[in-house]
Amino acid sequence: MDTIEIGTAVSKGPGVAKGRLKIGELPDGQPILIPVVVVRGASEGPTLWMHGCVHGNEYCGTFVLHELIRSLSPQTLKGTVIALPILNMTAFQKNQRMSPFEGYNGGDLNRCFPGSATGTLTQQMAHAIYDQLRKHADYLIDMHTALTDDVRWALFANIPGEIGRKGEGIARAFGYRSTLPAPPDILAGSSMMTAAKDGIPSFIIEAGGKGPAFSDETVRDTAERLRNVMRHLSMLDGKVTDYGKQWHFSNFAWVHSTQGGMFQRQVRCGDRVEKGAVIGNYFDLHGHPAGDAHAPHPGIVLAIHPGPVMSTGETLIHIGLDPQEV
Amino acid sequence: MKKSMKKIEIGTAVSTAPGRVDGMLQVGCLPDGSPMEIPVIIVRGAEDGPVVWMHGCVHGNEYCGAFSIHSLVRELELQRGMVVALPVLNITGFQRQQRMSPFDGYNGGDLNRCFPGKPGGTLTEQMAFHIYQPLRQYATHFIDVHTAFTADTRWALYAPPSGDKAKVANGMARAFGFENTLPTPLDTLGGSALIEAAKEGIPGLIIEAGGIGSAFSPETVADCAERFRNVLRHLDMLPGETTEHGGLTLFSNFAWVNATRGGLFRPAVTCGSRIAKGDLVGRYYDVFGDLVEEAKSPFSGVVLAIGGGPVMPNGEILVHVGLDPQPAR
Repeated sequence: MDTIEIGTAVSKGPGVAKGRLKIGELPDGQPILIPVVVVRGASEGPTLWMHGCVHGNEYCGTFVLHELIRSLSPQTLKGTVIALPILNMTAFQKNQRMSPFEGYNGGDLNRCFPGSATGTLTQQMAHAIYDQLRKHADYLIDMHTALTDDVRWALFANIPGEIGRKGEGIARAFGYRSTLPAPPDILAGSSMMTAAKDGIPSFIIEAGGKGPAFSDETVRDTAERLRNVMRHLSMLDGKVTDYGKQWHFSNFAWVHSTQGGMFQRQVRCGDRVEKGAVIGNYFDLHGHPAGDAHAPHPGIVLAIHPGPVMSTGETLIHIGLDPQEV
Repeated sequence: MKKSMKKIEIGTAVSTAPGRVDGMLQVGCLPDGSPMEIPVIIVRGAEDGPVVWMHGCVHGNEYCGAFSIHSLVRELELQRGMVVALPVLNITGFQRQQRMSPFDGYNGGDLNRCFPGKPGGTLTEQMAFHIYQPLRQYATHFIDVHTAFTADTRWALYAPPSGDKAKVANGMARAFGFENTLPTPLDTLGGSALIEAAKEGIPGLIIEAGGIGSAFSPETVADCAERFRNVLRHLDMLPGETTEHGGLTLFSNFAWVNATRGGLFRPAVTCGSRIAKGDLVGRYYDVFGDLVEEAKSPFSGVVLAIGGGPVMPNGEILVHVGLDPQPAR
């Protein structure tokens, strides 16, 4: 078998190789290292690249990838799983979305791919990661969360032709009801869109909420759905579970708050909202109602602000537009 | 004819008659020179009676308390006495979603260790001073609303633990009715508003309900507000029968267990669980997902709070155990 070498993780044959990839350097000169796990099957097959914590406080994805890796056995695996459960390590440490060491605009790692070897901290991180991804990956799955623990939706890069079709196959096997065939002109700089344009079918999962806002059930369910994707890709034996019909959206709308204050949401992820529907209530510091927040578009709630406090410009609601049952 | 009542003045909240008034109390000054102000709500009944001082967000990211106090005062009509509510004490911690003020650069940023405060102290000590002065002046009963880490947190503390005022505090705790309750020894929690007020003869409660940040439900908010109303019924400030919530389980003390290692962490117990010394309370994993250690409880008792993870450095609170649980007579 060919040698797969990602940082200090070196795989020369069937088995599990673990190591660390250097993606930057800290002010004291220490390397920023991120974990890499390569699980290589005894039989040939595709290479599925999965990563999590692109945003440092989206821990659910890390736990899902860990759960999945622990369940894999090289004896029964066809092909290779490359998992990088924590990309944005310094943000992970600090329980925040972006690196505390990034002093410039552009600290969102998922807008920095394919990265730059001589750019800002986050651009250099993206470069170090993407170099390896492009070299090894046949498929990409990127694990995210939104804000609240009831988040359950997914998106695949809908590049016309084979890349989009393969992305849809993965989305069907994963089986979340709310799914966006993502138009190629959105999410520029995401690893999903960047990789898809380089010919790698790519998929983002949004499961659970920020920080501790996720359950062990979500971790187990998501890991099982990832195994179903691997059955679909013939990397694991067994019948592919049919999770049923999906809603496919034409696009999404991210709505930012234009009002600050204490906030109580009135909708849950997966709810259908009409234009103008009350989605939450604002209160002032004395507890007086300070107005309602309304849905500016009809569609399906993909994410909703958890409150309890909000400043202007935060993501108020994320709506899947024009749901079509497929 | 409207009765003239004693003037109560806390910042810009000035009450001279039955009903509700709102205002702001200055507790500090920001780097740009603008005042750091916190909300004050005074709700007054037609007759004089007990003055229940309630405050929340002593720790800025413990929002559940602010919401439960708001829920209470939103439709409160007292038959006697007064509720003085300060739902958000640590306003700059509240803004930034953190426990302590981002403007306090020194040790001692924990507002609930800074009472009675100091007019010439650090930012947080000065905040404590401005809050504690009117508390001492007006309060006959005190309720401080906190959260722990996870949404299932439900326990309470009262002080003083012995003497005449202990009967009053115990009565408030029974009326609030969270089963797991600590009669708090006066030598713990020094600098907390609860203990400092108790030492000056003001009986009080700390309520620990819900978790940090957004980790609480509207049901917990509604439940706490109803339990506050029950305390007010118990004090004859609201009409109606006091609900009997059942017997309390009382502790001799609590033990805070800090993590001695860092890593990814998943709790294995929920709040309210009985545990024995040596029982599993959670699991540490490394960045590759391998189990590296099982965290065991060094004490027997009841789980009052559990570190929710999902990541922690060493030194964070791993588990908070209520010791020697005894059914109260």
